[in-house]
Amino acid sequence: MNNCKCTPESLAMGSFPIQEWCEPYELNSALYNGTIFPCLNMNFHAAEDIPCPFCDKAAAANLSDREKAMNEIAMIGFAVNDLTLYLDTHPDCQHGIKMMRELLQKRLDTLADYAAKYNALTQLSVVTGKPESDKYEWGEGPMPWEGGLI
Amino acid sequence: MWAYEKRLQYPVKIKKTCPKTAQLIISQYGGPDGELSASMRYLAQRYSMPVKKVGGLLTDIGTEEINHMEIICAIVYQLTRNLTPEQAKTAGFDAYYIDHTAGLWPQAAGGVPFTSLEFQSKGDAFADLYEDLAAEQKARTVYENLLRVIDDPDVRAPLKFLRAREIVHFNRFGEAIEMTKEKLDSKNFYYFNPEFDKKMFDNKL
Repeated sequence: MNNCKCTPESLAMGSFPIQEWCEPYELNSALYNGTIFPCLNMNFHAAEDIPCPFCDKAAAANLSDREKAMNEIAMIGFAVNDLTLYLDTHPDCQHGIKMMRELLQKRLDTLADYAAKYNALTQLSVVTGKPESDKYEWGEGPMPWEGGLI
Repeated sequence: MWAYEKRLQYPVKIKKTCPKTAQLIISQYGGPDGELSASMRYLAQRYSMPVKKVGGLLTDIGTEEINHMEIICAIVYQLTRNLTPEQAKTAGFDAYYIDHTAGLWPQAAGGVPFTSLEFQSKGDAFADLYEDLAAEQKARTVYENLLRVIDDPDVRAPLKFLRAREIVHFNRFGEAIEMTKEKLDSKNFYYFNPEFDKKMFDNKL
């Protein structure tokens, strides 16, 4: 990577290590840990006992199809968010660019799929989800802050 | 330009009403190291940033902080949406309830209203980016203080997520300082302010 280098140390100025690419977590672990990068995951002693709501297969089996689809969108969306910041400071990193292009395609597909089956989460997926419909369903579906009501 | 997406960045599904916990967590909405303050700080500072990619990073982190504000508000809302008058009276939420019922209003845990005095936009890239590093550290401390005293796992999982984001953002702001340093003379980073003394900065590029 072209920018994996720090400027020489100077008096009266901080020097900061530039993150190197490390193999990302699976998307469910990434959302749980709050980063896709294991090398940036620094746990806190009073938070080690928190279970991963997206990793337990038995718990996932009890979710409705709608909740599963929403979790999938959250996992992909979060990986896009974290990778966005990485690429802001590593714009030429090919690992990151490849992963981002794949994630963005998945994001488009899952949002359209969700809009087709349930309700549109983005205004664009009103038409990508139901291209043949003559309805406008942006006002449909639960508000995000209602949590368990879907 | 922003476009809304009808979901939270991290799902929040709280089953148990707890106004006392809401009273503590509301600080990350309107408190000194809260998410409203964070988003306004980065989105204000970005306009005059001399290095374009740093302005881009501030836009993207500032945008994410708005997502975090929404997560915090969803937590406070779900902790108080079924509040009874008896709970409002006894559970440490009484003063807030009198002024705001169970509505959302940005204030610190101690009741101090949100104010833009909680952040700076100094018009100097290094001064602003060092403030941003400090802001991420202070917010991390608040999430750790919350994680020590809150037991409900439905609340703890999103708090763990939000704490982790502070550490990632800290590293990105460090990288932004390195990106700014690259454009300046390492013998004296302070000879001029690249955000104001534009002619001197342009000559360097």
